[in-house]
Amino acid sequence: WVCPGHCEPLSWCPAGRRACTDIISTVEFNYSGDLLATGDKGGRVVIFQREQENKSRPHSRGEYNVYSTFQSHEPEFDYLKSLEIEEKINKIRWLPQQNAAHFLLSTNDKTIKLWKISERDKRAEGYNLKDEDGRLRDPFRITALRVPILKPMDLMVEASPRRIFANAHTYHINSISVNSDHETYLSADDLRINLWHLEITDRSFNIVDIKPANMEELTEVITAAEFHPHQCNVFVYSSSKGTIRLCDMRSSALCDRHSKFFEEPEDPSSRSFFSEIISSISDVKFSHSGRYMMTRDYLSVKVWDLNMESRPVETHQVHEYLRSKLCSLYENDCIFDKFECCWNGSDSAIMTGSYNNFFRMFDRDTRRDVTLEASRESSKPRASLKPRKVCTGGKRRKDEISVDSLDFNKKILHTAWHPVDNVIAVAATNNLYIFQDKIN
Amino acid sequence: MEFKLEAHRIVSISLGKIYNSRVQRGGIKLHKNLLVSLVLRSARQVYLSDPCPGLYLAGPAGTPAPPPQQQPGEPAAGPPAGWGEPPPPAARASWPETEPQPERSSVSDAPRVGDEVPVATVTGVGDVFQGGEADATEAAWSRVEGPRQAAAREAEGTAGGWGVFPEVSRAARRPCGCPLGGEDPPGTPAATPCAACCCAPRPAEDESPAPPAVCPRKRCAAGVGGGPAGCPAPGSTPLKKPRRNLEHPPSGGEDDDAEEMETGNVANLISIFGSSFSGLLRKSPGGGREEEEGEESGPEAAEPGQICCDKPVLRDMNPWSTAIVAF
Repeated sequence: WVCPGHCEPLSWCPAGRRACTDIISTVEFNYSGDLLATGDKGGRVVIFQREQENKSRPHSRGEYNVYSTFQSHEPEFDYLKSLEIEEKINKIRWLPQQNAAHFLLSTNDKTIKLWKISERDKRAEGYNLKDEDGRLRDPFRITALRVPILKPMDLMVEASPRRIFANAHTYHINSISVNSDHETYLSADDLRINLWHLEITDRSFNIVDIKPANMEELTEVITAAEFHPHQCNVFVYSSSKGTIRLCDMRSSALCDRHSKFFEEPEDPSSRSFFSEIISSISDVKFSHSGRYMMTRDYLSVKVWDLNMESRPVETHQVHEYLRSKLCSLYENDCIFDKFECCWNGSDSAIMTGSYNNFFRMFDRDTRRDVTLEASRESSKPRASLKPRKVCTGGKRRKDEISVDSLDFNKKILHTAWHPVDNVIAVAATNNLYIFQDKIN
Repeated sequence: MEFKLEAHRIVSISLGKIYNSRVQRGGIKLHKNLLVSLVLRSARQVYLSDPCPGLYLAGPAGTPAPPPQQQPGEPAAGPPAGWGEPPPPAARASWPETEPQPERSSVSDAPRVGDEVPVATVTGVGDVFQGGEADATEAAWSRVEGPRQAAAREAEGTAGGWGVFPEVSRAARRPCGCPLGGEDPPGTPAATPCAACCCAPRPAEDESPAPPAVCPRKRCAAGVGGGPAGCPAPGSTPLKKPRRNLEHPPSGGEDDDAEEMETGNVANLISIFGSSFSGLLRKSPGGGREEEEGEESGPEAAEPGQICCDKPVLRDMNPWSTAIVAF
C-alpha cells in the first residue's frame, strides 16, 4: 500500500473541453473496474474503458478512453403538474456482468432506465433477400441461395434501453442500488423507497414510506439508500437528520420500522443555526466487506460498524475549517452541496471531495490523511500529485492556501475508486480526472 | 444583539431562497426547502427571543427588556412592554397548544396571518375571511381577551417606539383579516386591534422547541389555506379550503386527491410570500392597497409584539425587513 500522495495522473479525459451543461453528476466503476461510467447534467452517459496492456504502447496500460456515449434521459415536462423534469443523471449503477453485454441503471429525478451496452464487431454479409446496399432484391430474381457469413467490422458499441421504470416516484429520486441477488434493485426518493425487479417495469413494491399523513409535520427526508453488498434482505437509508436506518426485508413487507438505528448524539457545544443542515447525510456506502458503512455529512465522513448503533467507529474531518464559514456557505448555497464518498477495494482507505477541486483520502490503517487537487496545472501526465494544505489561520506558509482563497465553485462532489486497483476517478465540475497509484 | 442581527440576516436569506425555489428547474426540491425552513425556524426563534427587540428596526432608544416572566398581555411596565417586547420564552411554549387560531391562519406566527390578507384580497376571498373566520377568530381569542384588551388599550395610549399599535383607533386595521372598518364596541374582541389577530395571543405564548419542529410548518401550510392535508388545528374553519383553491400553488403539488409532489408547507410558504412580497414591494397607490400593505405589515409587527404597526414607520422600512419581521 502506497501513500496516496503519490497518485499519478495517467489519463486525460477529453471531457475537459465539454460545455457547461456537461457538468458531471455521477461517476461509477463497474464490478471489474474495466468500465467507468459518468452521467452529466445534460442527461448523457459517457462510458470509458480501460486499455489493456499493449506492447506497442507500454505506458497506455490503465488509460481510460471513451467507449460509448449515449443520451440516457431527455428533459420532460409534466403537463399535469406544470413541472419540468430535469434530465440530469442523478445516479448510475452497474449490474454484474453475466454475458458479453454490459448493463447499467441510470436515473434522473423520476425515471430509471436499464441500458444494455454491447459491442458489435461483426457484420453479416451475403443476404439473400437484400443486396449489399440494403436494397431489397426481387425474390423472383434469386436463382441461388447462399448462407450469410459474418465478416469483421470496426468495433461499434451500441447502447439500447432495455427497460424503463417510470411513474413510481412522486419526489426526486436520489439513489438506486442493485441488490446482491442481481435480480432486484431499490430506488429511493425523498420520502419513499421502492423495490423493483429488473425484469418488471410496470410494478414496484414500496418498502419504505416516511411521508407523514400531514405534510406539515415533515421533519426529515431520505437522502440516500443502499443494499447490503452480501445480504440481499438488508438495506440502509440515511436521512436529513443525520441518522441511518438499517432495514431487514424479511421482517415485514413495509420496512418503516428499522432493525437498527444509527445516530451519533449531537455535540451541544457546536450548535448553530446550521447544525441541522450540516448533519444531513449526503451519501451512505457499505464497505466491500459488508461489515461497515460510511456516511458523509457536510463537514465529515464517518465510518460505522453495523454492530454498533450508538456512534461511529471513526470520524474524519474533511474541511473543518469551513465550520466558521457556515453562514457564507449558506448564502451561496454551498452548504447544500451533496458530497459523495467511496471505499477503496480493500476497505482500507476512503475518499471524498471538497472545494477548490480538492479531494481528501483517509487511510484507516495508518490514520493518515491527505489532500490532493484535481486540476490541469497540478496534473500533468505522469507527474505526481502534490499534497495540498489549507491554512486555517495565523501565518500562511508558502504552499498553503488560505480558507478565503478557496474557490467554492470548484467542488468535487463525485469520486469513485476502482474496485480492485488503486485507480481513482474524480469529477471536477465538467472535467473527469483519473489518477493511478504510481507503485502499481 | 449580534445574534439578532445575524438571525435577521439569516431569515432574510432563507426567505429569498424559498422564494427563488419556486422558479427552479425540476420543481421544488423538498430536501433543500426543508433544510431552509429549519434554519428559518432556528433563526426566527433566536430573533424572537433576543431581548433587544425594539432596537433593531425602528431604533427608538431604550426599549426596556421585559422581565422574563412578564405576560405580554398584561399592562405592565409601561406601554411598550405590552406589545413592544418579544414573548417570553416560557410563555411561548404553551402557545401552540392554546392557540389553534393562529396556527390555523398563520404560517409560523401571527405575521403569517397578516400575510394572508393580501392573499385573500388578491384572490377575492377576503370576504370569506370576514365571515366565518372572524367568528372563529373571536371564539378562539375570547379567552385571552381580557389581558390583551387591557394591554391593547395600554398600548393605545402611548406612542413610544414601535411597540405600539396606533391603529388601535383605526379599526380598519385588521391584520388577521377580521372584519374591517367600522367602529367596534370596545367590549368585543374585534375592538382590540390585535386581539382578533393571531398575533395577539402570540406574545402571551411561546413555542416550545419541540413543537416548533411542527408548528412553523403547520402554520405555514395553514397560512395558505390549510396545506395539502387541510388544517388540522381545532377551531379552523372550513373556509380555508376555498381560499386555498383560489390560490395557485406554485409547485402545483397541493392537491389532496392525487398524489402530487407535496412540498406542503414549503409550497404554501412560497405562495404566501409570493403574494406578500408583491404586496410589500408594490408602491401602494393608496386606499385599499395601502390598507392591504398595512394589514400585512400589521400582524408582522404585532406578531412578536415588537413592531409598530404604524404605517409611516413601516413604509420607511426596507420591505425585506418587514417581510423578515413578518416571518
